[in-house]
Amino acid sequence: MSLSSIVAHITALPVATPLGTAAVLAALNKFLPRRMADTLAILATLVTLFTETLLLYSVRSQPFVYWYGGWAPRSGAALGICFVIDPLSCALAMLISVLVLVAFVFSLRYFDSIGTMFHVLVLGFLAAMSGFAFTGDLFNLFVFFELMSASAFALCGYKNEETTAQQGALNFAITNTIGAFLVLCGIAMLYSRTGALNMAQIGRALGQQSDATVITAFVFLLVGFYVKAAIFPFHFWLADAHAVAPTPVCILLSGIMVQLGVYAVARVYWAIMAGPFAAHRGALMSLLLVIGTITSLLGAIMCFGQRHLKRLLAFSTISHTGLLVIGFALLDPHALSGVALYVAGHGLVKASLFIGAGILLHRYGSVDELELRGRAQRHHFSGIVFLLGALGLAGVPPNLTFLGEHAIDHAATLVHQDWIPVIFAFSGAITSAAVLRVYGRVYLGWGDRESLRTGKQIPEERETAGPHHRIPAVMILPAFLMVIAALGLTLTPKLRRAAETGAFTMADTAAYQSRVLDGAHLPNTFAPPGQTALTPTLISTSCAIVFGLLLAAWSLSPLWPKQDVIVRPFKLVMGGLRSLHSGHVGDYVAFLTLGAAAIGIVLGLLIRRFGM
Amino acid sequence: MNPRFRRYFFLISVVAFFGVFAWGLHDLPPFGHYRGPYGDILNHVAVYERHATDVVTAVNFDYRGFDTLGEESILFMSVIGTSLLLRPQKKETDNNDGKADNSLQRDLDESERRRAPAASDAARVLTLALVGPLIVFGWYIVTHGQLTPGGGFQGGVILATPPLLVYLAGDLKTFKRITRQEWVEAIEGAGIFGFVLVGLLGLFVGGAFLQNLLPLGQTGSVISAGTVALLNIATGLAVSGGFVQLIYVFLEQTLEVKLRVQGGK
Repeated sequence: MSLSSIVAHITALPVATPLGTAAVLAALNKFLPRRMADTLAILATLVTLFTETLLLYSVRSQPFVYWYGGWAPRSGAALGICFVIDPLSCALAMLISVLVLVAFVFSLRYFDSIGTMFHVLVLGFLAAMSGFAFTGDLFNLFVFFELMSASAFALCGYKNEETTAQQGALNFAITNTIGAFLVLCGIAMLYSRTGALNMAQIGRALGQQSDATVITAFVFLLVGFYVKAAIFPFHFWLADAHAVAPTPVCILLSGIMVQLGVYAVARVYWAIMAGPFAAHRGALMSLLLVIGTITSLLGAIMCFGQRHLKRLLAFSTISHTGLLVIGFALLDPHALSGVALYVAGHGLVKASLFIGAGILLHRYGSVDELELRGRAQRHHFSGIVFLLGALGLAGVPPNLTFLGEHAIDHAATLVHQDWIPVIFAFSGAITSAAVLRVYGRVYLGWGDRESLRTGKQIPEERETAGPHHRIPAVMILPAFLMVIAALGLTLTPKLRRAAETGAFTMADTAAYQSRVLDGAHLPNTFAPPGQTALTPTLISTSCAIVFGLLLAAWSLSPLWPKQDVIVRPFKLVMGGLRSLHSGHVGDYVAFLTLGAAAIGIVLGLLIRRFGM
Repeated sequence: MNPRFRRYFFLISVVAFFGVFAWGLHDLPPFGHYRGPYGDILNHVAVYERHATDVVTAVNFDYRGFDTLGEESILFMSVIGTSLLLRPQKKETDNNDGKADNSLQRDLDESERRRAPAASDAARVLTLALVGPLIVFGWYIVTHGQLTPGGGFQGGVILATPPLLVYLAGDLKTFKRITRQEWVEAIEGAGIFGFVLVGLLGLFVGGAFLQNLLPLGQTGSVISAGTVALLNIATGLAVSGGFVQLIYVFLEQTLEVKLRVQGGK
């Protein structure tokens, strides 16, 4: 018996363990002491993480397919549901578990009074995200998408004392439910076309043929998943939700849930749509490059304009998710490996930045940058998280984000999209400048209180009771470990090669289909060897950090223009952008509808122009 | 955006959206021309392989049973989430904080002024008479999922109605007693845990998660189709517990007020 056939037996555990534990915790809600619930939840997460590590180890040379209920396909038709265990899905699931573990450890001291409901919902969230990463069935993907939403909506409105929390959670729920509806429509159209729900089977049934139904179905899936991924013009809910969600929830939303939207589209594309879109790659690429670029620039600009720390970090997430879409848009396995590395690097860095914000809220009862000015001068130690985090956002080596950007830049030069490093540099510069500015003002006391008249103050309720003079180790330690991991993992030998293998395996549509449908035992697909120049990415990231530092220093200096001397056009643009993010869910739904229609029309026209 | 502009903006977007939708739909196969292999294969093999006469249940709880675990969990998480969001707020439970606008007190005064009439005898007799038959009917639907349309989801919802009928009959004390949170939560959790446990059973005998390894029994008898019946019972528990909890958290506030009014009479 080979290792993978033994390990295969535990494939269901990443979903079954968290769900089973959640059931026990819910059943014993009134009887379990708080510490017992913490212990059980952390144990379940550790079991999940351990299982996924074993799975990753067992698929390092060859992926395997696991059929629930033992229903292997008959003559190429799948009757049951399968998990496709390949290197990339395992690595993604491990990142999910690590972030959930951090969220649980952080909340040990964070919430002073909760029942087991928080644990139950986070465990449900964990099960949903793990299943989402592994599944090979389109409808099962939708089920986990919904499970993810059901737990995330409630977690987001956790602080039910505040009307703003309910408002933020409601905006999140309404927009994401419309997204889910579009996903379901897309699945129904593909089912009526092929009579299959298994992704490999749909892909094989479609072959190379693409007609209006297939294209529209893909547009609906794309829009639905990009609502979750907070891509322009579907990104509006994200900042509202992050501003109100408790910090451990922000870690999960920003660190991984949003990126799962990008992953789902990539998975659907390589498993199903690579054939039908083979003749329309140019059209799809141009559309996605434009969407990704707008998202990234808009997120960066909005990020710099915030004074509410969680909103600032939320807009930075939007900007970086835009960069991920740019990476995917190249529709190239090299770029896909870059996207994977970038997701890991960004997830670790962003989670620790949110912990940094949570620590400030815990210690000083505020996440308002101006109000916090100079108040953390005695806590330099925790400020290092912000410094290292800013480097990670800019992609300074040896961060994982640098490796990711390098792979994407390389793929971009191959298709003559040489402007992509510039977008990475711009977004990296602005978002890291915003974080550096926060560091300078809060930890060094630089700048004055009035210069940043951007955005109105949003009051934030403390999440922990009473004044705290010390910062608990369970808060600061995970943050440090994560920023250090984002730096240290880069030095692991062969990480780059492993990511490439994962990406090439995921992008090998034919091998994927025969693994799932014919039970073929095919090894991983390996990337062709070759060295690529680091220079463009080095230039891009050093520009990013230099401009980031300069911009942060300028914004804290007396030279930063006061409100009344800012040039009029700039004021108009910023005012316009801010008024778009109105917080009115009606506006968001209108933009969502228009965006879905526009993507459909533009993609249709582009395909017609490039030849049907 | 002002409301007027938003309305026109949305209307234009919707028209464009349905344009795209219609374009996508015109290439669909015509109505009634089912192309796929899935339905045809299952209709041929399900009764023979699973000894279940209701193929829909065989699909939901066996062939695609893993989806159902996810769907059951969606319901579970939604119920937990709803009770989390509707949990009594601090300012409602602290009675000694000295604030004049104690909302419970306000609700009490309010309901004193417009007290609803007590349930009539007709309503009481009818609703209470239905309680017993509904429990039997609910369990019938839950346990016959593999034979006739129905199953854990449908039966579970029916099983959740008797407490609501008790509430409608105006017997609030009994309602509070039979919806005790410890019990309801335990039933709900047991339903989810039971589903996972049946799934894990497959692993212990060397099969896959959710593999149906019990004897399949005689086609058409109540004890047939192996684990399908067990999974239906687990789902029935989770759904009935979940819906009772949902009813409870929605009525909790009113219930407290009404019980105080009754007590004060």
